[in-house]
Amino acid sequence: MEFTASGSVVGRAGPADHAQARPGAAALGLPAAGALLGGSALSLVGLTWDVQWHEDVGPDTFFTLPHLFLYSGSAVAGLASLAVVLATTAAQRAGRRVDPTLGGMPVGVFGRTFTAPLGYLVAGVGAASFLLYGLWDQWWHSLYGFDAVIDSPPHIGLLLSVTGTMIGTIVVFAAGRRHRWGPPGVVVSTAMLLAFSTVTVLGLQGLDGVVDAVAVGLAFLTTLLLVLASEFASRRPGGGLATAAVLALLQAVFWWFSPWAAHAYADLVGLPLRDYALAIPVMPALMPVCAVAVGALVDLPRWTSRRRTGPGRAAGLATGALGGALVAGLNGVQQHWLYGTHLPGTATLAATAALGAVAGLAAGLLGRGFGIMLRGVADVPAGRSAPGVPPGATAAATPVSPEGAR
Amino acid sequence: MTGRAVAARLRTGAVALLAAVGLTAAATAPAAAEEYQPVETVHTERVQVGPYGMTVGFSTWPLHAMRSLDFTFTPDDGIAGKSGTLTAIGPDNPGARPQPLARHPRKRDVWGLDVRALPVEGQWTFRFTIDGPAGPGVGELTGLTVLAQPGPPMAVSWSISTLPLLGLVAFLVVAWRRVRPGRAPAAGAASG
Repeated sequence: MEFTASGSVVGRAGPADHAQARPGAAALGLPAAGALLGGSALSLVGLTWDVQWHEDVGPDTFFTLPHLFLYSGSAVAGLASLAVVLATTAAQRAGRRVDPTLGGMPVGVFGRTFTAPLGYLVAGVGAASFLLYGLWDQWWHSLYGFDAVIDSPPHIGLLLSVTGTMIGTIVVFAAGRRHRWGPPGVVVSTAMLLAFSTVTVLGLQGLDGVVDAVAVGLAFLTTLLLVLASEFASRRPGGGLATAAVLALLQAVFWWFSPWAAHAYADLVGLPLRDYALAIPVMPALMPVCAVAVGALVDLPRWTSRRRTGPGRAAGLATGALGGALVAGLNGVQQHWLYGTHLPGTATLAATAALGAVAGLAAGLLGRGFGIMLRGVADVPAGRSAPGVPPGATAAATPVSPEGAR
Repeated sequence: MTGRAVAARLRTGAVALLAAVGLTAAATAPAAAEEYQPVETVHTERVQVGPYGMTVGFSTWPLHAMRSLDFTFTPDDGIAGKSGTLTAIGPDNPGARPQPLARHPRKRDVWGLDVRALPVEGQWTFRFTIDGPAGPGVGELTGLTVLAQPGPPMAVSWSISTLPLLGLVAFLVVAWRRVRPGRAPAAGAASG
């Protein structure tokens, strides 16, 4: 596996780089990035299946099939990241220029013992962390039993570890934004992270009071990731809406898949469904139905200002706050609609929506910044030398392979 | 690189991905029903629910906060033709809501709670209602003592478990300070 620059380079790379480069390397970026995305998908499928299993069937062991999907997801992502880091390290040691569009700016690890593209480093650290928290979870269950509680400390540690891997996946696709597969990969991987995070925010349940802390956390993450996708798409408006549409697609697929998989697996192992099992898809029900509206909302300033100098900061802040208020305020309504639970009281709804607006405001600011950072993740700042990359190399000097040129 | 060569590379990647998943899955066989532990009862209490005598079984004893166990609820003449509710009232939730009594997933001839933990230490009360051939009845198992939570304090456990989040925040702060996206031009004007 080669992770060095291809021979077709535009921009500021010098002649020496051409001499060191090898053709066709850019085409290998997609299989590696695809492996990360595949790992994320396995984790997502495993999570929705596992949550549904506990809701509708019940018994737990360390090696259920949904658990294996979760473990496999991190294993695939971790192995892919390790392979890329080793290949990049070998390329760097051989004196070949490392292509920053294949995983992001390369950084030195353990001094400069290893050279790791930023995205694969983040994804790999997430996978390694998952392994450690798996051990922590096993110890936890040996002490407390196999309670099927999603928001136990080790479970949240595991979910956060997968979150790290999924963030690394976004970085990898963002780095490849000049390749054909880069931008759609960012949309899909961001939607997958948002879908996955609907369970992670359940860790905030302990903070619930007058304000629905889970709804506020969901508002923050939804706004953050949709604004990030919108900002990353930059001059091509629609990143937020496209990401929300993929989330809606995942929601629809899992709405069918989750109960089907849980019940089919129960049949396979000869276990009955619980009495009073509602068979409502648990994880899809956590995903905000209003995300499509919020996606369109955060894209709105970009659409309306396309022919001018860009959306004003005030417009971005306002849409972020409104999006946050929508997600937070409608979360209780969605649960009432799906489960027939009591509607939250007026005070709770108002306080949750207000705090959601504040969270959305902050998320809008951060999401814009992260979107900008993602656009430049393959850039190496002028005057700073990353391992394997000559000073001054930027995304403008990225290799463009014949099949990846836009 | 030709389109055919790219396709070959993609196929290789897909095969590698599937092989990794297959190897991981093959390393461990999924659990079958018989591998799930049977429901054991190491301690019982008696409770009178109106006209119905009932035995409450515990798979571990004494009880500790957060340590999960199997509870079984067995009317003297079985659960056939009966329905009921359980309200688990703890020191922190005097207004707990009743839940229907459901069959235990691994012991289908009795009602029960599978691998459930009582979250806080103190005195708990289980309030039962049963409706059956002898009419409705209400009864309580009071003074159910739940001892202190084993293991490290929750603050320590949460500190350990949120380390990935702290690491992620630290990474983003460092990246933000280097890139300074706040100084970037307005989004629509940025390069695409």
